Amino acid sequence: MTDKIKISIRNLYKIFGARPEAALEHVLSGTSKADLLGQHQHVLGLKDINVDMREGEITVIMGLSGSGKSTLIRHLNRLIEPTSGEVEVDGENVLTYGEEQLRNLRREVMSMVFQKFALLPHRTVAENAGTTLDVRGVAKRDYLIEADKWLDRVGLHGFGDHYPHQLSGGMQQRVGIARALTSNSPIMLMDEAFSALDPLIRTDMQDLLLELQTELHKTIVFITHDLDEALKLADHLVILKDGYVVQQGEPQHILLNPNDPYIEDFVSDINRARVLRVRSIMTPLNGNPVPTNTQGEVGHDETLESLIARSGGEITHSFVVTQDGTPVGTLDMTSLVKALVPRTASEDSARQY
Amino acid sequence: MATYDFIFNGLGLRDWCDAGKTGDGPLSMADLLAKGGSGEDPSIWSLPFPSLDALNDACAKFPQSRDLTKGVEDGFLAMKDMLRVVLDPLTQPLSWLLDGTLTLFEATPWWIMFPILMLIVYFASKSLKLVAFVTACLSFLAFVDLYQHATQTLAIIFVCAFLCVLFGVPIGIAMSRNDRLQRATIPVLDMLQTLPPFVYLIPLIFLFSVTEPKLYGIAIILYAIVPVIRLTDLGIRLVDKDVIEAADSFGMTDRQKLFDVQIPLALPNIMAGINQTIMMSLAMVVIASLVSAPGLGVLVLRGIRNLELGVGLVSGLGIVLLAIILDRVTKAALDRVNAAQKH
Repeated sequence: MTDKIKISIRNLYKIFGARPEAALEHVLSGTSKADLLGQHQHVLGLKDINVDMREGEITVIMGLSGSGKSTLIRHLNRLIEPTSGEVEVDGENVLTYGEEQLRNLRREVMSMVFQKFALLPHRTVAENAGTTLDVRGVAKRDYLIEADKWLDRVGLHGFGDHYPHQLSGGMQQRVGIARALTSNSPIMLMDEAFSALDPLIRTDMQDLLLELQTELHKTIVFITHDLDEALKLADHLVILKDGYVVQQGEPQHILLNPNDPYIEDFVSDINRARVLRVRSIMTPLNGNPVPTNTQGEVGHDETLESLIARSGGEITHSFVVTQDGTPVGTLDMTSLVKALVPRTASEDSARQY
Repeated sequence: MATYDFIFNGLGLRDWCDAGKTGDGPLSMADLLAKGGSGEDPSIWSLPFPSLDALNDACAKFPQSRDLTKGVEDGFLAMKDMLRVVLDPLTQPLSWLLDGTLTLFEATPWWIMFPILMLIVYFASKSLKLVAFVTACLSFLAFVDLYQHATQTLAIIFVCAFLCVLFGVPIGIAMSRNDRLQRATIPVLDMLQTLPPFVYLIPLIFLFSVTEPKLYGIAIILYAIVPVIRLTDLGIRLVDKDVIEAADSFGMTDRQKLFDVQIPLALPNIMAGINQTIMMSLAMVVIASLVSAPGLGVLVLRGIRNLELGVGLVSGLGIVLLAIILDRVTKAALDRVNAAQKH
């Protein structure tokens, strides 16, 4: 994982309606979304979005329906044109691209996975998986080899000659992922990719994605409305509401420091023990000696749930937290239990970004 | 004294109306009849609509309805020569194509024709049952000595349906990509579809010589091209928006999108359009026998003209059999396309 910024969105606005430029003036002078619709008949889709997405990370954009998350992801490959703002990929502003450059961006740099799979029903699974190469003019013989490789990788060995309608939803989405991987693009856009699948299959697919990611280190932009999914996948979490970013940052941090009642509502419903990790709530050593009266060591990336299981519910225990074998902090069970109680947004947790 | 005299009197046009009035003009039958009953009191129950003829009664300068039809006729005849200069060479290939195909179909002996047709049916439907059915129908037609007429009808349908697809599919594609073109084309298609088939023939008879095959060729194509255009347009517009978006996101060019996504996904609708087009060509080829189109229609016409009941009914049955064959084969092909891409 590097710290290089792969995609950078700057001051992005999107307004839907007959005369978006005129409506933008109103928005910039402080008209609210409701007023813009009521008085000017324009819909404010996105408002002043600023997000940096790092190379090799999964950036999850989460929001309820109508929050503008699908609109936002479509700006990255310009399926939707913004009203104002910049989208930089590898330091280049893609909004200045001409038709040819844009086509190259879509062919070589970004690939997309869709909620409704969007496979071509008249092509076989292997041909579908190879579509991204076919578009570039790669010969069928060659792209089928590549497609078969990725179909195997997503667990669809031997299904290459089937047609999409012969597969279940989960398998169809595996084809969708294989298709995106076949293009070998550094960036993957996933638009509610797992939302149409039933919960067990969804968990499988999330695991598959994480497993692929440990190997491939793609820059993934993942859209979801499901907080559990977001927390499971995200390296960087962006929460959208009504077209603006409510809070963004490391998911553990957002969970522990929600800065908005909207996010509090969200996070109050989830199983914190399963999501929170030891590193987020430990007391760092900061050069202090490692205490000796502990009940053992615990990895810094373990979930609180596993730690509770280990201590057998005993709240007097405390543990040394280690990272790659070196002690980095301590954690006693009392603070663990405290962390399990959702806290309300405090005055001091001002916006971090 | 006519009903609407008061209009012209009121407008002070009486002098203009009566100027140059001779009364020697040609009388129509209606005029003659009207003369007899001119003494009657006008009552509200017999109030005529202020039509051209009624107004002409009041003012001789006003045109009669026969002047209107005469005007249309004169106008058309005046344009005719110009239209011919343009249309004649343009449509000449159609004549050659029809002539050539008719000759080819007639020259091919039945024992070559049958296997060829059976092969076509097999490749379209991949169903041996259908091949057997088609062979049985054709054998029956040949057995009752309608073979020659049936092949003539088939030849004309092949040519016309082929040309309908050749022109109709691109027109439909163009319509699906351009809303303005669609709005402009739909009224024309509506007109083509609602005009009674006989009406097509009237201007064509004046434009082209009745001995030329293109006369009926054009009539059939105009009549039958509508469904394939409509359904191509509809089919492409109905292609799943998500799939189109996916195609865009992979950087497909418009051309790749059209040939790799839109046309294949619209194929079931296009095939349904082709099926309709073939059925409508068959309907029109029978009517076109009025203008010398050969085939089963000629026999039906003979049945009507000479009151030969048996000839008319048997050839009518032949047309039904042909219709069933064409419909079954195109539907079987359509089903195969559908089966390959259900969602």
